[in-house]
Amino acid sequence: MKKIAIAVAVALAAGSAYAQEKTVKIAGFGAKSGVVRSFGVNSEAAMIAAADVINNQGGVKLADGSKAKIAVEFYDDRCTAEEGISIIRRIYGTDAVVAVGPTCSNVAEPLFGILQKKVDDKGDSGLQMPVFTDVAIKIGLARISEWAFRNVPNETTMYSSLFYWLKTKYPDVQSVYGGVEEDFAHSRASWYAVMKDRAEANGYKVIGNSKWLVNDTNFSTQVREIKHANADIVAISAHPFTTCGVLKEMQRQGVKPKLLVGLTSSSSLETLQGCAKQAEGIIIPTSFAPVTKEGKAAAETTAKFKGAADLHSMAAWENIFILKQVMESEGISADKSQLQADRRKVRDGLAKLKQTQGLLGVTRRTEDREADKPYLFVQAKGGSWVVLHNPL
Amino acid sequence: MLDFLQTLSDGVLFGAIYALIGIGFTLVFGVMHKINMAYAAASVGGAYAGLLVLKAVAAAPAWMVFFGAFLAGGMLGWLVYVTCFHFIPLSSPLAPLMSTVGMLLLIDEVIVHLTAGMPQNYPAMFDDVMLRFGEFTLRGDLLLVFGISVLAMIGLLALLYRSRLGLATRAVAQQPIAAQLCGIRVTRVNALTFVIAGLLGGLAGALIGASVGALSPLLTTPLTVKGLVVTVIGGLGSIPGAIVAGLLVGGFENLFQQFRGVTERDMYVMLLLFAFLVFRPGGLFPAKS
Repeated sequence: MKKIAIAVAVALAAGSAYAQEKTVKIAGFGAKSGVVRSFGVNSEAAMIAAADVINNQGGVKLADGSKAKIAVEFYDDRCTAEEGISIIRRIYGTDAVVAVGPTCSNVAEPLFGILQKKVDDKGDSGLQMPVFTDVAIKIGLARISEWAFRNVPNETTMYSSLFYWLKTKYPDVQSVYGGVEEDFAHSRASWYAVMKDRAEANGYKVIGNSKWLVNDTNFSTQVREIKHANADIVAISAHPFTTCGVLKEMQRQGVKPKLLVGLTSSSSLETLQGCAKQAEGIIIPTSFAPVTKEGKAAAETTAKFKGAADLHSMAAWENIFILKQVMESEGISADKSQLQADRRKVRDGLAKLKQTQGLLGVTRRTEDREADKPYLFVQAKGGSWVVLHNPL
Repeated sequence: MLDFLQTLSDGVLFGAIYALIGIGFTLVFGVMHKINMAYAAASVGGAYAGLLVLKAVAAAPAWMVFFGAFLAGGMLGWLVYVTCFHFIPLSSPLAPLMSTVGMLLLIDEVIVHLTAGMPQNYPAMFDDVMLRFGEFTLRGDLLLVFGISVLAMIGLLALLYRSRLGLATRAVAQQPIAAQLCGIRVTRVNALTFVIAGLLGGLAGALIGASVGALSPLLTTPLTVKGLVVTVIGGLGSIPGAIVAGLLVGGFENLFQQFRGVTERDMYVMLLLFAFLVFRPGGLFPAKS
């Protein structure tokens, strides 16, 4: 009887302690359905893995000196704008202090549009919810709202550096021909506003470009155009499925440019899974490769949560650590009655950041709430990505 | 001129893929007078299942993967019949249409969840064979698809017109009640039609994977749309019509792309469909009333 009483007392004490344990909720959202599902799956795994590491170290220090555990709840936006907007409204209705996402730029752009444009603008009834993007990469999106922040690589800087390096390394290479997935926001913007522009800025002659759609399966006409152009570099701004389709058609038609350049997002496992042989030699700038001790550890921990480490998922990992730092420096309460004040503190804390520690090194934060991340160039070799050059 | 011919021949050969999908749509429609919207998705599903052969036998040749896809396609065909037709009131045309749309989405999402949406490298046959006539080339793997389409047509026509099952199938297609009164097991005939269409679909899916070089869930929607366009242009229920229309759509698609650009291409294919619906609603090979 005495033993039972002690057990009940211990259980009650434990229950009480459990009830007192505070949590800080971070809402993740991204594509977990459809063909970009892997992005959402990997981001979710990386966020949960990062939160697990932080929680095992005690959690987040709150304003009153107590500690809170991080709880990550992930929502599937299916990579559609309407679903993304619906989800950010749902997240706003929960006790999440910040949202991390989305995957797709076509979701991020309208979603940032429903956030309050300027902080403290009483005439603007937009959502006052900090959103810290890990994946959606189309250039310049964070300037839409002062509640929007991104930790995505700066493609302009990366491709500028890549074409500069290629020019130095291969001086006989003179011309570039592009291949672009015309109906995908990121691919399109990356070719017309970044790759083409940066190639020309570095003295390359851009001969032209071929276009295809994200659902296309037959690339014979486009590859024939690539063949006729006979450029030294073929730069493909497309996602893995069509990139692989084009590379396979290039092999069939015997198109062998001196150099192949790919889109940042294609420096992933997907490309190697789809066409490792044909992608051999393709050079891509990326903001992540497991080359540092921290990077290797992050990749290993994420793998335990069934996620793959790439430039996108590791940005999600970094975001959780950056948010911990911001929540601690700004002193959030994790009290539900102070939720909006906590959200504002997180926003202000993110806006104050001048630099953050990333897995490849120091990331500089820009005035327009974007990131200037360290990067390196990787190349597909023997079925895996190897670091070709570290320009920093 | 050479560019024009090359574009046309590339498109026509790639149209053999649309023809294979169109045959499946038209076979089911010919027998049950119902559209199976899940057909292309089940075909791609069968092709994915064929990849399991590579899990079992690491260095399995492509034909074994194709055979696995062929069998898996047949099983999926039967599954689609059971879930979307057998227990659904067929008197309402909307019911099987919606159930197969649901099955299309289900198969698509199952593939996405099992593969995380990642494209899967697909083994090919004759993918390195390129017939060259000077600058003009013909892809060996697409010629194989074309040959299989023609063989499938001959095989299906032989089955329909030279076998007891074909006789029963045609009887069910024309007069299901009379066929039942004659002792034909209508349910069995319908199920077998789905299995046969599924077997062909699995093979078609594998050939599509091989000719594209990779499988992705991205394939299901465009193949469904193109399969339906081919079925309507060819004439609902006409197997030779599906083949001719498949090649026609493939050729036109490539020509439109060449002359009007990729962003306008599908618009013109749809205009072609509308033109047929208005001026020749029965398609190229209209069913005899």
